[in-house]
Amino acid sequence: MTAHTDTKHGLRYQSAIPVARGKIAMWLFLSTEIMFFTALIGTYIVLRFGVPAGSWPTPGEVHVVEWLGAINTFVLICSSVTIVLALEAAKLGQPTKAKRWLLLTFVLGCGFLGIKGVEYASKFSHGIHPSAPRSVLYDRADAVWLSGLKEHIRDRVGVLEKSGATAETNRELANLFLIQSGMVQWTESKVGRNDDPLMEPLAMSALASQVYPDSFSSEQRQRIATYMQNETAEVSGLLAGAQQGLDESRSQLKSLQEKIAELGKADDLTEEQKSALSAKKTQANQLTASITAATGNHSKLSARVRAIQEFHLADHDHHGINHDHHIKLPMVIPSGNTWANTYFMLTGFHALHVLIGLIAFLVMLPMTLDVARAGLVENVALYWHFVDIVWIFLFPLLYLF
Amino acid sequence: MQDQHAQPQPEPKSHRGVFVMVFLMLCALTGLSFWIANSHLMQHRMTAWLAMMTVSVAKAFLVVTFFMHLWWEKKWKYVLTIPAILMSALLVMLLVPDIADRVSTYSKTRASYAPVIETGAEPTAQETHP
Repeated sequence: MTAHTDTKHGLRYQSAIPVARGKIAMWLFLSTEIMFFTALIGTYIVLRFGVPAGSWPTPGEVHVVEWLGAINTFVLICSSVTIVLALEAAKLGQPTKAKRWLLLTFVLGCGFLGIKGVEYASKFSHGIHPSAPRSVLYDRADAVWLSGLKEHIRDRVGVLEKSGATAETNRELANLFLIQSGMVQWTESKVGRNDDPLMEPLAMSALASQVYPDSFSSEQRQRIATYMQNETAEVSGLLAGAQQGLDESRSQLKSLQEKIAELGKADDLTEEQKSALSAKKTQANQLTASITAATGNHSKLSARVRAIQEFHLADHDHHGINHDHHIKLPMVIPSGNTWANTYFMLTGFHALHVLIGLIAFLVMLPMTLDVARAGLVENVALYWHFVDIVWIFLFPLLYLF
Repeated sequence: MQDQHAQPQPEPKSHRGVFVMVFLMLCALTGLSFWIANSHLMQHRMTAWLAMMTVSVAKAFLVVTFFMHLWWEKKWKYVLTIPAILMSALLVMLLVPDIADRVSTYSKTRASYAPVIETGAEPTAQETHP
């Protein structure tokens, strides 16, 4: 609509810029969009390069698959070609052809969103999504994370105990109790009473990698596996010793109690025998107390051994408790929370633009896309190419950097 | 829309050949950035990032110039594109020096939070992390 014909006087007015007004409007809108996405990408750069050196998650840590991103790039490039061919067909007055190209563009756009959906699902299923800092994703395996873990287990147990007993909730409860006793409390006691300054990060990282191993490098996991194998051997030895000591103490107590009962039956005891009896009673009481203490230690050790066996904690290549047992415990992914928030912000806004483009295609599909409609096709095509350009920058920034 | 042809326009020409060429170049450039990301160049991070961004700029240039057919437009195209491109490039590039410098000369405390120590950071944390 570049010229306006005054029907009454037969005059023709030319607008200042020799371009259709709709097209100018679209280009102006796109320049604001350029600034909008520049602001988003600028924010990403500030956050991405502002994290501690080397801590930004690698693709594998957060379930980013590079080749899926590359395929999506290819899909969008193809859709840019098909929309440009739709415009050509419309300009040349071939509405059927134009419609076919437009339909293909629509299908490709849906394909892009479908792959995006698969990608999002793989992150959500691992509990990675935008969230407040230190709620789901923690930067370090430290005391803050450990208390978050305990709090989460306590809350979850509360919910499950209220919800009524089914086979599933019982299984999850049993798992949570074992995690609590055989992993969290164990690590706490280990960290608390050890003087070795290297023990704390090692024990805590071991626990964190058992919850979610993907954020640990293979060297780290190798070291943790060695540590766990040593610990497994040590703990089984301690448990066997504790068992033996407990058995001995119990049989000792039994024979003591028999003797006490025997002495107690007699009516006339000499002073000597009376003092022997009271000495034996004191001995029995002491033994009972030490058995109680030893039972506590024994159950702590056996919980540890059971946890190691049940969750395969000493294995080098397990997938983590969260993955294997469908539990969503707080995870340690260095800078993972910043990653999740920026990733979903950028791809989310882009996906929203794709969705709006798809709606525009749907509206246009029933129309006759002839020369008269070429202006409309052109404007929507300009918008679609812009969406493609945004992805051209997002792909390397989010998948390859 | 009906006055689309009220203005004398050149007969619409088919640019199909150009589009196919651009499509092939876009595919090749995507492959190039994918290759860079999986090559030894990634050991020099800054160089690899710059290379990938250059590839992206080239791809965006191809799309804007040919698919958005600015190539065939009149001079008004410069009014709408050059300021936007300059402003966006400046906005991003002016943010980089501070951030990049801050990371390359990281404080000891913050570096000790990092699980892997890269060049430029203090090596203390490496010992305390398994």
